[in-house]
Amino acid sequence: MSEFGLRLAISLTQIAAVMGIVVVTVLLLTLAERKVLGWMQDRMGPMEVGPYGILQPFADAIKLFFKEDIIPAGANKFLFTLAPILCLIPAFIGFAVIPWGPNWTIEVGGITVKPFVISDINIGILYILAFASIGAYGIILGGWASNSKYSLLGGLRSAAQIISYELNVGLSIIGVIILTGSLSLVKITDAQAGWFWNWYLFALPAPQIFAFVVFVISSVAETNRVPFDLPEAESELVAGFFTEYSGLRFAFFFLAEYANMVLVSCVAAALFLGGWNAPYPGTILELLGAPSLAWVENIMWFAVKAYSFLFLFFWLRATLPRLRYDQLMKFGWKVMLPIALANIVVTSIAVFITQ
Amino acid sequence: MAPTATPKRLSLSEWFKTITFYEIFVGMKATLSHLLNYRPVTLQYPHEKRTLPDNYRGMLALLRYDDGTEKCVGCDLCEAACPSRVIRVVSAEVPGEPTKRYSKEYYMDMTRCLFCGMCVDACPVDALGMTREFEWAVYDKRQLHLDKQQLLAIGDRSFPIREKRLELQHPNVAFFNVPFKHVPPKPN
Repeated sequence: MSEFGLRLAISLTQIAAVMGIVVVTVLLLTLAERKVLGWMQDRMGPMEVGPYGILQPFADAIKLFFKEDIIPAGANKFLFTLAPILCLIPAFIGFAVIPWGPNWTIEVGGITVKPFVISDINIGILYILAFASIGAYGIILGGWASNSKYSLLGGLRSAAQIISYELNVGLSIIGVIILTGSLSLVKITDAQAGWFWNWYLFALPAPQIFAFVVFVISSVAETNRVPFDLPEAESELVAGFFTEYSGLRFAFFFLAEYANMVLVSCVAAALFLGGWNAPYPGTILELLGAPSLAWVENIMWFAVKAYSFLFLFFWLRATLPRLRYDQLMKFGWKVMLPIALANIVVTSIAVFITQ
Repeated sequence: MAPTATPKRLSLSEWFKTITFYEIFVGMKATLSHLLNYRPVTLQYPHEKRTLPDNYRGMLALLRYDDGTEKCVGCDLCEAACPSRVIRVVSAEVPGEPTKRYSKEYYMDMTRCLFCGMCVDACPVDALGMTREFEWAVYDKRQLHLDKQQLLAIGDRSFPIREKRLELQHPNVAFFNVPFKHVPPKPN
């Protein structure tokens, strides 16, 4: 096999593995969200399909697959078809640069491969932000192409919201980038090795706690989750931008929302909470004499961090009511943006003094 | 000029609560405590049903005496008492017995019934009863127009223990089946 063929095969294997994990996580999340919300509200959540309702995601998937796919009469067919794809692909494509495990290299047929990251590109975090912005197009175009007032209103809201809050996401990340001096997520994660006070959330000389809060709030807003779910406000806009969508296209939007949640959780874990690093130096499995299995522990730590973020998403949804539109904008521009900017200044000064 | 709202001055503690999202954390603590002390109020309805109260007013039924004859004497009082005109009675003489009447036809339009129980109160011979049935969802509304045989069937399956005929009951039971309060009922 040629070198190119081998590289392609390895990359495709990695992509398939990551896609599989993400899709399984999304399936899990749809059930977990309904269960957790139910438990928090003294309900039971889905209980009918399978024992304790654990087969509910499969029932939902089957239902969505076999539903009639309706394109409204006045809709722009091309954009209507394009929008869900435009929403889904950026949500999945961001996982290409997420480091899931230790920064190892292995030799496969004369090629060095990093098994725990699909592609370690040196602009990793910029790449994720760029594609997240393309995902916004999917929402806006879907809202416009549906030829429905509710969809259009949802799309407009999401346009304004995503533009305002993406700014805050970008600015809150800059502190971490200044501390690391790199945009690569692999390097950022590596720089946080050791004890948990080396994580950028707590790290000296400039703890990024405020940036972290801004990032979490803004990423909730960016994934259109409660309390910032104005684009799909079901009590005002039927279902917002995907009012007119049904069947598989609706499933695409749904999948994209959850994949975005997973992506944002992974980014938050990698940037602020040390990614796959354990809160103690090294790994326990290494001490027990199995250094070749240390990656299991690292991946487990990454999963714990990412899943606790996902739980936070559910928790917020169970607790908070939706913000009003002007409150959302005021909060984004008058509160989050100054904090993020001040964080950049403080971090820069601290880094300049200590170096 | 429109009155401009003067911004309320926050005290230091209020300001501190605002910037630390204090209220949000209080709310999140509440939801988390519900998650940890998980006591669902849900009843999985088709699988488990709640206990009905003793005076539950469910589906109406016509009753029989223990020898199988209908109690209804065709007096039309239930029809008169019904506030939503559910009941229609066609009364007739018992053939061969000119002093006795019965309901030749008896219809209930249960789509209109509001289960107030006034017909049961009005009946002088206790011929109507309210069962504890409530699962009467049907696909066709016309299935809720019940006739006499259906109502008797409901009574048969819900009231297996039947009363004796009036003339065989305790003599102190008045004609209208209202016992005298000062006389204890005689055991059967």
